[in-house]
Parts: sequence; structure tokens; C-alpha cells
Amino acid sequence: MTLSLVDPVEWTSVIEQIDVEFGEGVTKSLLGNRVPVKLKRGRDETFFLIPTEWMSHATEEEGERLDIQFIGKELGSIAKGRFRLSLHVLDELKDLTDRTILVSRHAAEAFTYGRSILKESVLELNPELKRGQRVLVINENNECLGIASLSLDANRLRRLGKEKLVAKNLVDVGWFIRRLG
Amino acid sequence: MSKKEIRAKAKVLAKDFGYLQYMIERYLALWGEEETLQFLEACENPIRSSIRVNTLKVTNDLVTERLREKSVVIEKIPWLDSGFFADFEGSSPGALLEHMLGFYYVQGVPSMTAVSVLDPQPGETVLDLAAAPGGKTTHIGQMMQNMGMVIAVEQDRIRMASLKSNIIRCGVTNSLVVRGDARKLGNLGYEADRILLDAPCSGEGLIPLDPTRKTSKTMADVRYCATREDEMLDAAVNVLSEGGTLVYSTCSIAPEENEYVVDDILKRYPEMEVVEIPIDFGVPGYSEPYGIRLNQSLRHARRFLPHLHGTEGFFICKMRKREGESS
Repeated sequence: MTLSLVDPVEWTSVIEQIDVEFGEGVTKSLLGNRVPVKLKRGRDETFFLIPTEWMSHATEEEGERLDIQFIGKELGSIAKGRFRLSLHVLDELKDLTDRTILVSRHAAEAFTYGRSILKESVLELNPELKRGQRVLVINENNECLGIASLSLDANRLRRLGKEKLVAKNLVDVGWFIRRLG
Repeated sequence: MSKKEIRAKAKVLAKDFGYLQYMIERYLALWGEEETLQFLEACENPIRSSIRVNTLKVTNDLVTERLREKSVVIEKIPWLDSGFFADFEGSSPGALLEHMLGFYYVQGVPSMTAVSVLDPQPGETVLDLAAAPGGKTTHIGQMMQNMGMVIAVEQDRIRMASLKSNIIRCGVTNSLVVRGDARKLGNLGYEADRILLDAPCSGEGLIPLDPTRKTSKTMADVRYCATREDEMLDAAVNVLSEGGTLVYSTCSIAPEENEYVVDDILKRYPEMEVVEIPIDFGVPGYSEPYGIRLNQSLRHARRFLPHLHGTEGFFICKMRKREGESS
């Protein structure tokens, strides 16, 4: 795999995708004083944020010398043209965005087993959020459990039956155990 | 005991406890009959499970409180800042939400101790060799408070996935993970302030966890492992900065993979010295195993043994590269 700096056009596209989902300026805050780099393997690209003093790793010569698999903070990856955030940045993101859904204890547990969120489990949801919006799933201890996609406009929540789907599980912290057993 | 007596006794014990005979012969030569019996009996008992609280994310108090609410019996490990014995009472330690959130890592007491002995500091460059599945890498990142760089080297493609996953789960953001052979560290182009080599070994200390080890490895396997360990340790010494610290550990109880390997390194590299470990655990390393006199400083190394400490068998040796003496 080769590590390289992210070109400005591509980085702008990443910023747009994250900021559209989670709020303007969020990507900048996640970046902090780090530099974005990417690892390319075939058609897959994974983006990382690294301290500026590590930038020397993102050269062609360094790529030939070292088989780098992971570096710094994983921001996310591009799959089917869409940017997907990594679980690595969720804790930080939680403090930067209001695009969240607060769920009950029972739903929180089910969510970490890959289940989606039903109306009866929702404790709090910003009514301005629209269908398709990515939201962070938060439990009652203010811990981020993953990302879900709203399956309806949030202002329709009240009219929904209690067993109706509100948000589809996209990724959750249970992935660690499901993936590795 | 004479050699003939050892062989006769070993034959009986090997049959009684289900081991290969050569293993018991070595234990008898190393410890005598009484301690060998204690060891064999201890290996029939399970090891206490333990966790390391990930202070990158939470405090000891928060995790212990939440686990106690879930009926997990928690007890502090005296010499480890964030290490706890944890009895999960039959439930799976990996299935709890606190584990998924990276609040703790299920890790053996000796493995946590090895990183504490290394004592990595924020801002340093630290190498973790044969790093998967990442227990020690994440512990190093934790002790460095995510400042500086921990370079995790792993050769196995499949184990690489668990290494990356644990880094993400535990919120370590100062790691560089490299796929490669730890015996060819010259290619890395780094000089490390500290190096942890928890070497792939014959696993002779893991018998309480994996009874198949009683019969799965021959003496030739132990020798093969010792050769590979020597090569890895040699490579590590060459990328250690002057004044730097190197911790060599294995989960083997075989002196051939531990004291012998370090003794050879000390002969080849006079600038390397074994230093005392300022943490109180285990028993001293062997400076005269099987009656063979080795470098006496090997007494500064420490061993965990199932019959003495209730843990898996483990060896930890802390070395320092003296300044201004590199050849």
C-alpha cells in the first residue's frame, strides 16, 4: 500500500461530504493541526490524519521502503464514491455535532448487535433533520455507539407507530467483536 | 537426581499428566521433583482473567464501577496502574458494551507487566515488534498519552486486522503500523528510544490456557523458536538508540528461549546490559539453568510461573544500550 498526501481537490470533496452530514466546520475541527494522507490499495482509499512531523512518510520512496498499513488517526474511507467515517473519530465527532439520536438503554444494546432503531427507542431527535441524514447514535451515558441513517424526516416521528423504523444501522461499535469474534 | 532417575521419574509423570517426556525431564532438571509437581498441578487449573483499563478513554474508577454493576468481580493488580483481575462469572468479557467502547482490554497479567517494565514515555519513538493483536501496542499508546510514535511491526496479514481494529477501538492515535519481518528492522530507518520484543515463541508458558501444548511441540520446535528469537532480538538491538531501553519477553518458560537467548546477545553486544526491573513481581531469571553458568545479571530478569503466581508462564528481561559503546 502507498501512503500519499491528499490533493486539495479531493480533500475539499471529503470536507464537503463530512460537513454536509455533521455540520459546517466539523472536518476542520477533526483535522486540528494534523495533515490528511491516504493509503491506497487497489481501488480502495483510506484517509488518515497525521501530525505534520510524520509527513515524510507520505513520499514515494518511503512507500517503497515501508509497507504501511495504518497511521495516526483513521478518518474514514471511500466506498462506492461515498465517504464513510471511521469509528476511530466518533468520540471526537460526538462533541462537534448536533446530528445525533439519543436512544434508550435497551435500544442501545440492540444497536451494538447490528440492529436498527425503532420509534419506541428514541428518546431525543432534532425535528429539523431530514430522511437520509447520517446521525450519531448516543446512549443515555452520552457514549457514541455508531452511525445510523434516518429513514424518515424527523418531524414525522410523533406520527409513527412504536415499532416503525426510524434509523438504519450503518456502523456500530459491536463491529469489533462481530468482525473478530 | 541422576540422569537415569530423571528419565524414570519423567516417564511416570509424563504419563500421569499427559505431557511429552522430554518436557518433564527438563522441568525435573531445572526445578527438582517437588517444584515440578507443583508446576504440573498448577497447570491443571485455570488462570484468572484480567483486564487493563484504557485510560485514554476513561478512568479506573468509572470502569470498575460499571463492571461491578454488571456483577463482574474486580480486584486491583498491585504492581499495575490500570491492571485488574476480573471475574466475568461466565459471561464473555468481549461482549460487554464497555469493551466495545474501548474502555478496557482483556489482557494477561504478564503481558501488561511487560509494557509497564518498558515504561514508554510521551514524545518518544517506541517499537513494538510482532505486535498483533495489539494489546501491547495499545498499552504503549496509552502510557505515551498518544504523544510521540509507537511503530507496530507485524508480519501476519490475518493478525494485522485485529491489530488495526484494537488500535481503533482503544482510541490510539499515535501509531504507525507496518507489515514486515521483525528480523529485518534495518529497512525501517528508525532508531527507537524503547523497543518491546514480545517474541513469537513455543508457548510453553501457556499450558494452563492451552493443554494441547503438553504434546504439540518437540525439542526441535523449541530450538527453532530460540533461533528465530535470537535473530529478532539481534535486529532489535541494532535499531535501539544509545541509552535506549529494550524489553525482551516471551510466554515460554524454557530457558533456551529466554536466558540463553539474552546471554548470547550480551556476548555479542557488550554495550547491552541487563538492568534491574523497578517493579515487584515474579521471581528472578535463571543465571545457572541446568547447571550452565550464564551472565549473572540475568537474575535481574523476572519470571512468572503458574505454580508461584497463578498466571501463565512468562519471561521479562529489561536491557539498556550503554551510551558511547556501540561497535
